[in-house]
Amino acid sequence: MERREFFKKAVVTASTVAFSSNILKAGETTHPVDDRKVTSIAFPEKRPMIMYSDRPPLLESPREVFTSALTPNDLFFVRWHMPMIPSHINTSAFRIKIDGLVDKEINFSLKDLKTKFKQVELTAVLQCGGNSRSAFHPTASGIQWGAGAMGCAVWKGVRLKDVLEHAGLKSFATWLGFNGKDKAVYSETANFIREMKLEDLDENVLLAYEMNGEDLPYLNGFPLRLVIPGTYSDSWLKMISHITVTKEQNRLFFMEKAYRIPDNECECETPKKLVEKTKPIEKINVNSIIGYPQQNSKVRVNAHIVVRGVAFDAGSGIKLVRVSIDGGKIWRDALLDKGEGGNFAFRAFRYTFKPEKVEKVTIMCKAISNAGDEQPLAKDIKWNHGGYRYNGIDEVTIEVV
Amino acid sequence: MKSFILLILLTSYRLLAQVNGDIQVPYVDFEMKKGKGEYSTRGKCNMCHSFGYVINQGNQSRKFWLKKTIKMIEVFNAPIAEKDIDVVVNYLYENYGNREEE
Repeated sequence: MERREFFKKAVVTASTVAFSSNILKAGETTHPVDDRKVTSIAFPEKRPMIMYSDRPPLLESPREVFTSALTPNDLFFVRWHMPMIPSHINTSAFRIKIDGLVDKEINFSLKDLKTKFKQVELTAVLQCGGNSRSAFHPTASGIQWGAGAMGCAVWKGVRLKDVLEHAGLKSFATWLGFNGKDKAVYSETANFIREMKLEDLDENVLLAYEMNGEDLPYLNGFPLRLVIPGTYSDSWLKMISHITVTKEQNRLFFMEKAYRIPDNECECETPKKLVEKTKPIEKINVNSIIGYPQQNSKVRVNAHIVVRGVAFDAGSGIKLVRVSIDGGKIWRDALLDKGEGGNFAFRAFRYTFKPEKVEKVTIMCKAISNAGDEQPLAKDIKWNHGGYRYNGIDEVTIEVV
Repeated sequence: MKSFILLILLTSYRLLAQVNGDIQVPYVDFEMKKGKGEYSTRGKCNMCHSFGYVINQGNQSRKFWLKKTIKMIEVFNAPIAEKDIDVVVNYLYENYGNREEE
């Protein structure tokens, strides 16, 4: 039987991450930083990952995780907003409360959720809106993530719709406000509350308690979190404990100011001229990443190389992944897995080749969705102040020796 | 019989003991660059979050650090007195700046 061992309080000295000076001209997007090492220390239930902060915990998955369609729980990225996370959850006392414009206020235990409602399993990508932010120049606002602020898991839980139906929604109910158990240091500070329009709620939105067949890892929102397939993770609330149904939107800080992009055609702006009208980041855009080989790795001439990676979009599904091994001149189709995880999941791809010359080879991959969207080149991605929604074509350069 | 007992154990584990004891996230001591205002800035930022949260924003303009500091005060109630704002902003800009005023 698995016994969860948690790391005792340990003190580590982290060297500061070095940032290259800002020599690029304004607005020029490159590739996200790709040379950060995992830390020497593991966080609870995690293997060592790329670490940006311990309080609140911010952990990124290393590139090699993206060779398979599911991301292991112990390497799955972590991002909290509030530094005060309860250090203990009493699973029998834990309740999720639903109040506001409902016929009856509800306080469900985990057992209630697991026994009173249909259990649903769904595979979906969880990706931070600021994933790959370090690709933006000048430096965009926020944690300078590489490409690993994302992952894909099988989520198991109950449909939020079913639970709300049980509570009975009043006819003028329009907004859902979600709150979790994490808190700011000062009690008067606003909580990390996210809001969703009731009309955006479909049968894919889950209150999930399991991830890849295990209980949710603590740092991924144990014991209960929201799963909103196809959207960026900003509203996938962790340790969710309270849902309030309202008529009007509350317009709280984290909805009004955070996770927003320019509301114009190109969804872009310049540092000198920020766009005033903004909109939420919402749907994830088509993207793909090479999990193997790693940047700057060496391979032998005539070695049999299998490039592996994953591709995904907001739910139309991946139509095609194309790979180039000559820096983008010739593109050929990669082999896709069967797509058994469904349209919200990572689609694993592979591409085989044999390098015949001693040289540097630049491997690139680009995904095309069923909706017809195709990834742009990194340099063609337009700047926005928050460094959101990067989906530039990934590339890895290896040395054939 | 043995597997039956194991099944019961597994079942009870699932329902009751997901988190076995308290969680402890390791404390990480992020090194700060030496400079004027270092001590004061450390104290103020570390009240709420690790210094990693600051330096991993990347090197930024003076205006950026000023806006962030004000956000910390206004949104997160950071206990930074008005007279101390400049100390914090100057330290951050001088050590984690991009040489741009805005």
